[in-house]
Parts: sequence; structure tokens; C-alpha cells
Amino acid sequence: MKRIKPFGLNFIKTISLKKGNLNYLIKNVVFFILFLGICFLEIPKILPKIFGQSFDSASYHIDWGNFNMTSGKKTSANYQLTDTVGQNAPGKFTAAGYTVKAGFQYIYDTLEKFSFSINDVSIDFGSLTPNIGSTQSNTITITTPSGHGYQIMAIANKPLSTISSSTIPDTNCDTTCSISSSGVWTSSSKYGFGFNAIGINSSGVATNIGTSSYFTNSTYYRPFAASSRIESPQTIMSEDTPVKNHSARITYKINISTNQPSGDYENLINLIAVPKY
Amino acid sequence: MFNLSLTPPQVEFVLKPGVTLTQAYQVTNESDQSLTLNTQVLPFLPSGDNGSVTYNNLISNPNINFSLNNADLKLGQPFTLQPQETRQLVLKINASSQTSQADYYATLFVYQSPDKSANGTTISQTSGQIGSHILLSVSDTENPKTEGVIHKFSLTPKIKDVFFTPIKFSGQIQNNSNYFFKTAGKITISKNQQVIKELKLDSQNILANYYRQFSCDNQQVCTLSPPLWPGKYTATLEFDSSLNIPSSSASFIVMPISPLILIGTIILISYLISRISKFFPKNKSDQTSES
Repeated sequence: MKRIKPFGLNFIKTISLKKGNLNYLIKNVVFFILFLGICFLEIPKILPKIFGQSFDSASYHIDWGNFNMTSGKKTSANYQLTDTVGQNAPGKFTAAGYTVKAGFQYIYDTLEKFSFSINDVSIDFGSLTPNIGSTQSNTITITTPSGHGYQIMAIANKPLSTISSSTIPDTNCDTTCSISSSGVWTSSSKYGFGFNAIGINSSGVATNIGTSSYFTNSTYYRPFAASSRIESPQTIMSEDTPVKNHSARITYKINISTNQPSGDYENLINLIAVPKY
Repeated sequence: MFNLSLTPPQVEFVLKPGVTLTQAYQVTNESDQSLTLNTQVLPFLPSGDNGSVTYNNLISNPNINFSLNNADLKLGQPFTLQPQETRQLVLKINASSQTSQADYYATLFVYQSPDKSANGTTISQTSGQIGSHILLSVSDTENPKTEGVIHKFSLTPKIKDVFFTPIKFSGQIQNNSNYFFKTAGKITISKNQQVIKELKLDSQNILANYYRQFSCDNQQVCTLSPPLWPGKYTATLEFDSSLNIPSSSASFIVMPISPLILIGTIILISYLISRISKFFPKNKSDQTSES
């Protein structure tokens, strides 16, 4: 394979090899100077021109001291690049009065967006039978960019209730549980409304990833916090590292007694996803 | 179905009192059906020692004003996103000139408006809500002074074998100032005044007058893996000098426990073999000569 050497090296080598041959040396020097001249004259014409930005009207002429040329996320099959070219230089705090501590790149720091999904937002229990626990479930999925993980919280607007204010009470589980601690709830003689959250893999198999701190296993339940009682949302799933498509199955359970008044019971449950700061 | 993304997930500003800034967010409906959405900004408090937050029905600071700068949308006004549609929300943040110089933390929420009610059944309607944190420092200076201390810096085990069981470091960083800062530091493990290894700390936000468990780059728990030569080691946790956090140290001893056990076992087995061999008859040649 023939190796192409840089022009400069060839020239130096030529000088050393042809030492004493003045004509040959002059010819090379002249050619080299011509080559440099062409480079200086022609290259600026090939490169894109850079201008300062200004806006004109009949009354105004606005000069921009700085103008962002490009910024954002560039991707190809093999690479990703985030850049900010032309961002205002540091040291403008006194004039502008604010600064972005995190920098633009934080916005694009991975390919992943911060996203949250619920596969079914309508949990319809249909008609309930006393002393037989009824369950329904949906799946939540979260993806976080780089940072420090996520936190998913839950809160209901009110206990399950009818328009005439009959209420299905919050579960107390088999022995005890609360909005911030779960307990086993398997007894058919323990009435109420509660939920369980269990981390699952992409095949739907329980892994308890992200939920093990809140629910030991799928027999553990707790009632929802309720904004009608001026309670704050309670964490039901969290992780401290960035994740991609981590899911949990939320199981909602109702068990009513024979004394439960008939009616259309409803409430609104809010599932809230935020990043860890 | 609810499937929403919000970018950026967090923004951090230093703002002078009396100044207004804007921040653009991209909200995308990642689902295959249109979503009716709404927006709100709620203040939060840090919770626990791992970056979690809590919303305890806090009252917003009246001197910090949040609004949307979009021409056709206000904060709290419903809007619809078609499947796969992205919309830019431009949040305007204004700190009045009366704002006390300190940190203010809030979350911009985009949430789903419920659109179904019970009709002859018992129904729980769920709605999704996704938030992006805003860490706001109101200060006259670009780099507000911060200071902190290291709490409970410890390591386990304190005596360990040359092989097996890694050393795990834990502790909390307490921020004693009114402004949040990002951790920048390292754990230096040294022996006889010589640095054996450095573990770089993960860059974490420590909120004002609050604490957080530290972690290491690419490790949730800072860990030093074996093998290590026997001796006394010192681990020093130190931070960038601009953070004004005094360093803290802890020691551990590495002993050749497993090699000693191995050698002891070999000696014991040899001793037992020599003892047992005394109970065996003499060698065959002796037996043959005797016969």
C-alpha cells in the first residue's frame, strides 16, 4: 500500500536529499510559497461567512452583542452529541440578573426523556359482591434521564363515595395499615378500599424493583391519602438511579360488607411522577 | 391511557431580586390518543436523605410569581395535545424586589384532566401527573456563599480480610447555608501517607439547610473492592474548597485473615496426618522383612 506523506514532510525530505542542488531547491520553495498563498486566498471563500446579527426597521436598528449559532441534540446511528455554540459568556450576572446553574446540556444529558405512562386510567369495578374482594389493576411505567432517579406518589381526591356521601371506608388491612405504611390484607371479613404496587419486569413478572420499600409483596395493601382530608401525596415507588421503562402493577382492591349502601361510588386517583432533585 | 414526557426534568437558577426570567419546557403526548392537560406550580420541601420531595399543602411565596408566557395559554388553563404532539410551555419566573435572599423550590406540573364519571358502576378514575423541579436561588451575587458539614461519615467493616467483602462508605452532607450547592469531592484512601485509590463523588444537589446521603460516580454506594495489602488505611472525605465543607476521615485495618486461616488449616491437617500415621502399621518393607 502506498503511503501519502504530508506536503511539508516531503519538502523537508527533498531539501535534505537534494542538498547542493540550488535550482531544485528554489523550485520547491517557490512552489511551496505559491501553495500557501492559494490556501490563504481561497479557503476563506469556501468557509461559511459569520456575521454579527442586527435587525432594522424605519425607526430602529438593534445590534445583538451575542447570538446563538447552534445548540441542541444531534444523533446518528452511532453517536449522540449535545452542544451549545454561541451561548452567552459567563460573567453577565450583573447585567442580566440571573444565571442558569445547570447549563443547557443538562436538558439533553441522555437520549431518554423524563416520561411517565399509565396504561389504563379507568378502574371500573362493575357491581360489587359483599364479602368477596374485588380487584382491578393498571400498569405505570417510568423513564428518567440521567440524574438521580424518580419518585412516584399517589393521592385520591376523596374516599370512594356516592353523590349522597355514602362511603366505602379506607382499608385497615387485616391488622393495621395506613396511608404511609402497608399491611397484609387477605381476610374476606376486613372491608374497605386500598391498593398495592409491585414492580414488574417487561414480561409482567413481579420483581418488586422500586416498590419493595413500600409494599413487601402483593398481599400488602394500604389506603390512599386523600386531599379532602388535607393529606399530602404518598410515595409508592422510587429509585435512586436513572431508569428506562421501569414498570409497576397497581392493584386496587375493594371488599364491602352486606351493610354497604348501594350506589355509584367514585373517586379520582392522581399518580404523580417527579425526578429526584 | 396516559403517556407524557416533560423536558427538562429540572432547572436551576440564580436570580436577582426584582428580575424576571423565562424557561421553555417541551411537553409531548407520547400516547396514541389525545389528552386534555393542565398546568400548575407547587412548592416542595425535601424529604428523606436521597433526593425525594414532599408536597405538604405548602403555601407559595407571594414574592415569587410563576406564569406562562405563551400567548394562548395561562397557568391552570386546560389545553389539548393530539397523539405524538409536542407543545412548548414558556414559564416566566419573577422574583419581586422584596424577595428575601434565599432558595425557593417548586415543581412545574403538567397533569391530565379527568373526563369520565361513574355511570351505574363503582369506578376509580386515575389521572397522571408529571413534574419538573425548579431550584431557584434568589441572591444579589452570582455565586452565593455556601457552607456545610459532613455527618456520620463511616465505613464498614472496620477490620477486614485482604480478600473478600468490599469496604462500604456512607455518610450525609449537611448544608448549613440558605442556598443549595452541588457536591464536588472525593474519598481518598491512603496507607502510610500514600494514596491507594480515589473514589469520585457523584454530583448531587444538597438543598438549603438540609442534608443528603452522598454517593459515588457510577456507584449508588461508595465501595472499595478487595484485594488490599494488610495494614492500616485511612479514608478521607473531602470537598471542593469553594463549598466550605471541612473534610472528615475514618480508618480501617486490613488483616491477612484468610491466608492465616489457610496456613493454620494446612498446619493442622499436617499435624493430624502425622498423628494419625502413628497409628498405622509400619511400612510394607518392614512387614515383609518381619514375615
